[in-house]
Amino acid sequence: MLTRREQIIKWSVYGAAVLALTLLFELTLRDVTLLGAGLFLPPLVVGVMASLEGARAGAIFAIAYGALCDLTTAGAFPCVYTLAFTLAAILCAALAQSLLQQGALCSLAASALTFLVLDALQMLALALAHRAAFGAMLSLTARETLVSCPMLAAVHPVLSHLHRRFTL
Amino acid sequence: MKEFFARHGVRILVAAALVAVALSALSYVSETSSFLHDAAGVVTAPFRAAAERVGRWFEDKRHYYEDYNDLLAENAALREEVAELRANAQQADRDREENALLRELLDLREQRRDFVFESAMVLERSTSNWARTLTLNRGTAHGVAVNNAVVSGEGYLVGVVTAAGANWCTVQTVTDTDTEFGARLFRTGDVMIAEGDFTLMGEDRLKATYLPEDTTLLVGDYIVTSGLGGAYPSDLVIGKVESVRVDDDGLAQYAVLAPMLDFDTLKEVFVIKAFEIVE
Repeated sequence: MLTRREQIIKWSVYGAAVLALTLLFELTLRDVTLLGAGLFLPPLVVGVMASLEGARAGAIFAIAYGALCDLTTAGAFPCVYTLAFTLAAILCAALAQSLLQQGALCSLAASALTFLVLDALQMLALALAHRAAFGAMLSLTARETLVSCPMLAAVHPVLSHLHRRFTL
Repeated sequence: MKEFFARHGVRILVAAALVAVALSALSYVSETSSFLHDAAGVVTAPFRAAAERVGRWFEDKRHYYEDYNDLLAENAALREEVAELRANAQQADRDREENALLRELLDLREQRRDFVFESAMVLERSTSNWARTLTLNRGTAHGVAVNNAVVSGEGYLVGVVTAAGANWCTVQTVTDTDTEFGARLFRTGDVMIAEGDFTLMGEDRLKATYLPEDTTLLVGDYIVTSGLGGAYPSDLVIGKVESVRVDDDGLAQYAVLAPMLDFDTLKEVFVIKAFEIVE
């Protein structure tokens, strides 16, 4: 059990790591488009964090990170990221505790799940508001997940290393 | 040897002086050089040539180092000059770009004297695949408000301000799914709706719907804002007709519009803060 001071240090380091990963992404891969979809980092961060930290801590992180994304990134409707990331964090934590052991595979599954939850909410909003074609939206979800998941090669090692340092 | 010179030195000196005088007299009266003179020249020529060569080598070396130092100094001066010229050229490029933008704005102002503009720089493009937005460096502190139309220097419609902070604002581009404008076919004046479409957004296109039944759209036709309702200014170019398609239900036609701008390269735009409403 970590003391309050250790908890503050741990989450500050996590925050700094996520900030560094975001900066790295913005400087290098931001404008990369593959299969007609741009790379998107936030769901990977939420998926990995939730699978490593569990439901409670993961959900709190997801709320904070989702709110930050809602303030800075365009979405299908306001607060879509806060809602989607919180829900996804709970599901990812359940996945990590029951079905898969923590690790790269678990992070991959959790990230894909986060993309699925986020894009499902966006699809629902767009379908209700604009009668947007489901086929096109599903295609975008698949392509976005496919092209973004390779970034786990950078995200998972960094966050799991920090997790091991603070937990073990 | 010392004794020899002491005894015969004066004689030798006199003899040498006589030979020298004789040679001088001979060379003076003779058209060609004398035998002795010639022989002395033949014997000494290789030595003189060698001496000349050695002298020239030293001279060359001296010149080489002098030239090398001069070249170094000249090279440094040229480098400075090149750097200065490059800086001037870069400044000229920036000035030219700014000049072109200001000329475009001036043209636009000449055409539309009712517009009140706020120049803005594009700070960021949306990273989400589900929306097409831009963030600008102007906000409420500069008079920018939600629903202000945003145009390029050429007067092409970029989008609409959907959120504004003190020194920033978010612009939904014309290709975003949530965008909707009252539009008009410039050639005939037929009114329609120009709106973003999720399927077309990925291709940076939008569509024109609610086409009047008797309208004939031609590829390349310009679609402009209608200005009806007074929400947005009229006659801002939204895009060109690229193709005409039939809806999935097969009941209605819609036109695919290609915006006049490349949003990925857009750097500077103009927010229309006020305009004259023409009904």
